[in-house]
Amino acid sequence: MHQAKLYAATADPRTVATFKALVEAIVPNTPALAVFGAEQAAGAVELYVYEYMIWELDHSLALFLGTHLTIVPLSASTAGLLNSGAFQFVASGQAQHAPNHALWGSSPYAALSPADRIRVLAMLEELRVDLGLLPPPYKDDGGLITFIVDYLNRGTMFGFYSEWPAYGSTRLATPTVRRLEYFPIGWRQAGYPGVSLGYRALGGYLLTIVREGGESTIV
Amino acid sequence: MYDADVIVIGSGGGGAVAAKELGEKGLKVLVLEAGPFYGNKKWQNPNSERGGEWSSSYNDLDVGIYKKIYNSYENNMNDVVSGAFRFGPADRRRAPWHRVMRQKGDIWQVSGVGGTTQHYWSQSPRAFPQAIDHVWPISYRELVPYYEKAEATLPVQFSPTTPKEELFYYGAKKAGWSLIPTLDVVTPGYRPNPNAILRTNEHLMDPNYSMEQLTHMEGCTLRGHCVNGCTSGPSMDKIAKRSTLVSYIPLALKTGNVSIRPNSFTIKILTEQDPKEGLRATGVQFRDTWTGEIGELTAKTVVMAAGCIESPRLWLNSGLPFNPWVGRGLTNHYFDWVGGVFDEKDLMSILGTPSVYPYVGHTSGARVDIPGIGIFQVSCLSPGLMSFLTYGFSEAGYDALNPPEPGEPWDIRGRVVGPELKELMHNYSRTMTMLLLTDDEVRFSNRVEVDPLLKDENGPIPIVYYTPSPKTLQRRDQLARYACETLQQAGAKKIIRSDLPTGFLLHLESTMRMGFVTDTNCEAFQVKRLYIADNSVHFDGIGGPNPTLTTQALATRTADKLANKYFDHSIETDK
Repeated sequence: MHQAKLYAATADPRTVATFKALVEAIVPNTPALAVFGAEQAAGAVELYVYEYMIWELDHSLALFLGTHLTIVPLSASTAGLLNSGAFQFVASGQAQHAPNHALWGSSPYAALSPADRIRVLAMLEELRVDLGLLPPPYKDDGGLITFIVDYLNRGTMFGFYSEWPAYGSTRLATPTVRRLEYFPIGWRQAGYPGVSLGYRALGGYLLTIVREGGESTIV
Repeated sequence: MYDADVIVIGSGGGGAVAAKELGEKGLKVLVLEAGPFYGNKKWQNPNSERGGEWSSSYNDLDVGIYKKIYNSYENNMNDVVSGAFRFGPADRRRAPWHRVMRQKGDIWQVSGVGGTTQHYWSQSPRAFPQAIDHVWPISYRELVPYYEKAEATLPVQFSPTTPKEELFYYGAKKAGWSLIPTLDVVTPGYRPNPNAILRTNEHLMDPNYSMEQLTHMEGCTLRGHCVNGCTSGPSMDKIAKRSTLVSYIPLALKTGNVSIRPNSFTIKILTEQDPKEGLRATGVQFRDTWTGEIGELTAKTVVMAAGCIESPRLWLNSGLPFNPWVGRGLTNHYFDWVGGVFDEKDLMSILGTPSVYPYVGHTSGARVDIPGIGIFQVSCLSPGLMSFLTYGFSEAGYDALNPPEPGEPWDIRGRVVGPELKELMHNYSRTMTMLLLTDDEVRFSNRVEVDPLLKDENGPIPIVYYTPSPKTLQRRDQLARYACETLQQAGAKKIIRSDLPTGFLLHLESTMRMGFVTDTNCEAFQVKRLYIADNSVHFDGIGGPNPTLTTQALATRTADKLANKYFDHSIETDK
């Protein structure tokens, strides 16, 4: 089994639950949009975008430590950041909905309502938290927290609305061996026709540069 | 006794130009590139096998290999962690090369032959004359012959009109902007983008030619993949979008004087003390990214074109003499991004079509230039990239938690998440988006430095820090208002201002400024025979226009100056 796939299989349940909760809050399942077509309902959890986020965070940083270049996986610590944020959020009385106590033990972040999960992200990126209580490498590093919280948003959107989910059973393989297994759902939702060889859409030229004999003029 | 006349470090927007120009003068040139070489027989599977070491022949180029890799799928191509276009080693099993950023943002730089021009949108405007004259240590007039040469070589041509440009012109005209039919912009107005893209295929509108046929012919097919990898064209040197991989690199190889070594990360500039010249560059040390072996090459001169982050990093990691401006003065056009969602009936009455077709045509095809403020340009992307730039990437936080004041020209400012995001993305094909480029003021405090603790295999890693000046902020806000006005006039029903993060770095410039780190010929003050030929040598952000053409003009000029000073060639523009 490829290393990446192995990693996904062994990611701890708490990290997986936390990232599921994250991507669900950003790109949810939307039954109401099914009136525009059944494919419009699907959200980031059904399309495994939490696995995308875990994979990306675990493959984004390599540092030379001691004698060799070492991958520094960031998914578990980032899930820890969200859970610690959720804990502080609830403890300070900011939650607008009661947390789901059945989930609290496995992931405080996942126990929050989707709207409260977004409020936790806002609280973290505005650094309205006790930075000393966060797990490393985020502990006492406000700049890194603002960077990563912003990334969690755009990463989820890029994972969902790009072709990544359509790599299907190869989605966690090395990028060079991933293969598309179906037309991407996010593209279908957006009405994007996919990769095209061209479009017969020329509406003329407003201006043209004409180069003749070393001279150029604009017509 | 030397391995070459010139070593060029980096083969992107600037290095490839320097290599071609120097090779044409008959000088022996070695190019070291950290990333892969896509489209070359020496590297059949460049992302998974080491392949060869050097390429020195035009006949090595192979458009079949190129097209196989450039498959235009946005995640495969542009994922910053693992995409074919990323700043990292060729081996895609490995992590990218890290830069420390302690702020919101992202750095869009690409390693590989062609560098970041592999995914740039190819806007090739000249600087605003008023931003050069009496500001830069050289005049606009001095640059013009070099602009002309680079424009003719790429070549640069005005963009064609597709539905999104038509809608943009419609709004811009109604907002009171007039057409400026020029390359030398001295008054505000709108125009098609001067883009480094071949003219549209002359048979594109003829149904007797199939798309499959057209894609193997010369000319743009309006397929909308400037950013995800252009593949329209019959051969490497006739690909429609003119990254330096398909423009200057083939020309460089054609000279017979240029050899390119990809997968080679330069880690040190070698120098010696010369009794007459003082400290001077004599070569480089580089690390093979597949084997880790360290190589050394010597040359009479060295051209540094590693980009705005790696050039100062290389200076600092080489222990070259202290200069307070090395890595300092970073500008970045502090970007913003606005979008407008249109109703189908309005589009029908303006365009006669129900859609903006954001995926058709040049990625960016038209602009409004406002000297003294900046530029806004219609820029439309595939859904993954568009979704996060429009709704997921913001200095302003979440729109729902902090909605705009009534009376602002935007309905949404900041990120949109949850069901509202899904609804907006459902309108993707009726959304027109624009990139805003601000005339950015130089600040000493904006910088690239190296981390005192963290290292990768190539040495201490860069830390990048950027925060705009009050004047830059003011101009950017004005620019956002102008752009929203054009959207409003075009009839947009909902207007979104992303308020992109300060650290979204696309047009990095001026970290090795002319007049501070180099003389006006782009030779380092403190290290003779060491030249700089990337965006870092710009004096500033050139007033807001996209920087690549100015780098290419300067690299052409630098090749002239270098060959004149050390190899006794006459200056081309004096002929």
